[in-house]
This record gives sequence, structure tokens and C-alpha cells, in this order.
Amino acid sequence: MTLDKNINYIVSGLERSGTSMLMQILSAGGVPTSFDTSTRPPDENNPKGYYELAGGKIINKLMEATFPFQKYEGIFIKITAYGLKYLPPRNYKIIYSERNIEEILDSMEKMTKKKDINREETRETFIKLNEMIKDKINKREDIVALYINYNKTLENPKENIKKIYDFIDSSDFNFKNMIEAIDKNLYRQRRK
Amino acid sequence: MTEEKDGKKYTTISIPTPLADKIKKRIEGTGFTSLSSYVTYVLREVISGMEEDSEEAFSKEDEEKVKDRLRALGYLD
Repeated sequence: MTLDKNINYIVSGLERSGTSMLMQILSAGGVPTSFDTSTRPPDENNPKGYYELAGGKIINKLMEATFPFQKYEGIFIKITAYGLKYLPPRNYKIIYSERNIEEILDSMEKMTKKKDINREETRETFIKLNEMIKDKINKREDIVALYINYNKTLENPKENIKKIYDFIDSSDFNFKNMIEAIDKNLYRQRRK
Repeated sequence: MTEEKDGKKYTTISIPTPLADKIKKRIEGTGFTSLSSYVTYVLREVISGMEEDSEEAFSKEDEEKVKDRLRALGYLD
């Protein structure tokens, strides 16, 4: 089962927005994905793993322009939102995850084990980051993007995973396995 | 509906007739040759303004705050 080798495929979104869940869904469906678990193994914050390359420090490699994109053509990799600022010109397909900002902030606090005393400021900054990155994506002619809402995907997996399935544009992958990969028990920062 | 003209693809959008009539009056003598060319110009200006706004809204200070947070979360050295 393969993807187009002329395209770099990326799962993105703000940190703690459900990017690991998207990688998990793709991986379960047999979609080519690449990640390593050696430097950041699964933990209580991501019990099923982070699905990252370079121990999550891929952004550093992008900032230094040393990330080998050629090696990952036709394969999904995870690059969180800020890293997209440094994407060199190529052909990309990006699945971008969006989630309730309060849940993202809750999850960040849980991960750092520290209450964010500047939460209002952090909220504003990450909303701005999200908007800036989405604008960049929409502006670039070498990027095709699909926006997926994490909360809606958990509420209605079938409808949202169908969007992903259609976006990948291949009937080779296992749609049923992709839906079954969603573990609602891991939705621990739910806001009503 | 999509059609091709001079190697470019075009799609049809609908706007209320009274608005179209107003625009037609407004563009008389301005150099715009059609309602479509004027509407395209206005939409490009709006979109480009929105893109500039978001770039300007994300300041150097915001960027440093993001980097600090990413370091705390283990996403950046």
C-alpha cells in the first residue's frame, strides 16, 4: 500500500491538538507513516505514543534546514504547527488537526505538570500561531491541506475519517481499521 | 460550474442582482471592464489584507512565547 512518491505527507496542528491520534488512525489503516519511539517513548500523556521523528525535536532540524524531506516522500510524518513555518518549497499534503483551545491548554498544563499562570496570554499566543500557520498553508501553492477537528472526529469518527480517507486519495487503505483506531478513553481533557 | 479561458480556470458565483447593479454603476469609467474583474480585484484585496493581518498579529514576542512553551513541552531544544 503506497502513497504518491512525489508528495511529502504531513500531520500537523498545534501541540496537544490530536496530531498523535491522527498518526495512529493512519498507521492503523496501513497508510505509510514514519516515526521513532527511541527518544520519546509512550508515556502517561500519550499512552499510545507520540508518533514523532527525531524525538519530537524535528522543529530544530527544520529551523536548521537539515531535515531530509526526500527520505520521507510518500510517507506521513508529524510536524507540529510551528514547524510548518520552516517548510522548504516541495509538494505537500497536510492533514491539520484543530481542537478546542481550552482542552489544548489543559493538556499542556498536564504535560508540564505545572499550572500556567499566564494562561490568558498563552491562549492568545497559540490562537495567533494557529491563524498565522493556517494562513501560510492556504497561501502556498505547493501545499494542499485538509482541516480536521479533533473534537468532531471523536464525536463522529466515520464522517471525519472518511474525509481523511478521501484526501489521501487511495482505496488501498483499511477504512474500518482507521475508525477502530480511535480510543475514546484517551479523550481525557474534554470540555463541554 | 468551471470554465477555462486563456489557460485559466474560472468558476461562477452568485451575488444579489441589486448589488450587481450597484457595482456596475460604481465601475463606470474606472477601467474595470466587467463586474467579474472588479469583484475579483476586491476579493484579492480582502484576502491579501487578511493574510498580512495574521502575519503582523504574530509578533516576535509571540514567537518567543511559543518557543518557550515548546521547550517546556519537549518539542524544541
